Amino acid sequence: MKKCDRCNKPATVHLTEIDNGIPTELHLCDQCAGETGYIQQAHIPLNEVLNQLLQAQSRSAKADGLRCEECGMTWQEFKDTGLLGCMKDYDIFAAQLQGVIESAQQGATRHTGKCKESPTDPNAAVKLRQAELNRLRKDLARAVQRESYEEAAKLRDQIKVLESSPGTD
Amino acid sequence: MMKPGDLTKQNGEWLSATGPKHEIVISSRVRLARNLASFPFVSKASQPQRSELHRLCRDRLLALPGNLNLFYVDLDHTEDVDRQILVERHLISKQHTSGEGSRGVAISADEALSVMVNEEDHLRMQVLRSGMRLRECWKTADMLDNMLQEHLDYAFSERFGYLTACPTNVGTGLRVSVMMHLPALKLTGEIEKVFRAAKDTHLAIRGLFGEGTEAIGDFYQISNQTTLGRTEEEILNEFSDSIIPRILTAELTARSILEQERPLALDDRIGRAIGVLRNARLLSTEETLYFLSHLRLGVVMGRVTGLDIDTINKLFLQTQPAHLQRVLGRTLDGEARKAARADFMRQQLQARPP
Repeated sequence: MKKCDRCNKPATVHLTEIDNGIPTELHLCDQCAGETGYIQQAHIPLNEVLNQLLQAQSRSAKADGLRCEECGMTWQEFKDTGLLGCMKDYDIFAAQLQGVIESAQQGATRHTGKCKESPTDPNAAVKLRQAELNRLRKDLARAVQRESYEEAAKLRDQIKVLESSPGTD
Repeated sequence: MMKPGDLTKQNGEWLSATGPKHEIVISSRVRLARNLASFPFVSKASQPQRSELHRLCRDRLLALPGNLNLFYVDLDHTEDVDRQILVERHLISKQHTSGEGSRGVAISADEALSVMVNEEDHLRMQVLRSGMRLRECWKTADMLDNMLQEHLDYAFSERFGYLTACPTNVGTGLRVSVMMHLPALKLTGEIEKVFRAAKDTHLAIRGLFGEGTEAIGDFYQISNQTTLGRTEEEILNEFSDSIIPRILTAELTARSILEQERPLALDDRIGRAIGVLRNARLLSTEETLYFLSHLRLGVVMGRVTGLDIDTINKLFLQTQPAHLQRVLGRTLDGEARKAARADFMRQQLQARPP
């Protein structure tokens, strides 16, 4: 392995600079590459970002010993590799993962995108519409209770539209 | 059935210079990560489980409608140089080629669609197209995803969405990447500003052919870093309506500044690039990227005639190590490879004198 030109640590960044057609080879370690401006902060691969987050987490002996019966993954192993072993790990390590996910995902904690039962699936479309109808009916009941008749009328119209579309009830 | 080596005869769709804004936006890419609920993630799957997973996913992919035109490559039984060709064509990741055990990739004949099986996640679907076409890529990926999920039980939770081996992909499992050619921003030194802005909006930026090439060639791949808490639509809109148009405008502005205020410096760069590419006897991969980038700028800005973008795009790919060896039909190392690359380049550029 090549050594860093500046500090003799193992080089991880290999560059060929061309000045007026004359190539010069440069070998740098991560730190020196950062200091000399050859790599931007934005170049850090995603897994490294995650690793930094994981290393920054306070060490908890109890959590490190936690283990998934299904796949054998331990919290310590996840901290080393950044990879989970099976979908159950999201439950087993829920408490520990929460902070990691929040930091890696800029504070987001909840999925809001496409769902497994996609609306393009005809059954899912029916289910979605049904859920929406239930919500509207509840809102309507509350509006009537509060005697907000204008809102109730709006909700009633929305329910009518949904009910008359094919595939409900 | 097609084989990886056959691909070197064609220019992948993403390099075809046909999409909108392809002069600056090389390609748009959408990637979805999915796992099956009934298996451990890849790193914890036993060899028999991996083989079973592989067989299941491959059969499912090959049972997709014929108009998708998919062919399948079993990577465990593929030569090194052919796996490398797939990496250079952006059809599989470096990680997937150096991986071990049962794994593969389904690829459409035009290379716009590829699905890696048993990479970091069970399934990694990619739609890659020339130019600024993120929404179109998403439509295709979404449709493919729906077709697959009719038969495969995905790992999904209401709270975290699609569950992935690495929590940085959880939620939508969606990574959108746009590859841009930004030589003028580099020449005017404005690229730093773009990077800083990118850091503020939490984007990741990488080079054209991965590690070590970041600083060379002026190609930058811009991707979203977060996959949770926003809908696919929101992620796509941010890229299509805000981030990419802003960078595009900045590059166009830098080009017109160069044209008006520093035309000599600009033509000098382009002229030197032509000089080296047409006369060098030894060319490294990095040098080739560097000079082809300036030549491409010259062609796009109309300062070089007799060459088209399509040809230049093709040269970027064909001078990559594995492509060069496949095209020339022999294994080459070190100086012999640099010499072969220089010969190839002279031949290509002399056939179409600039």
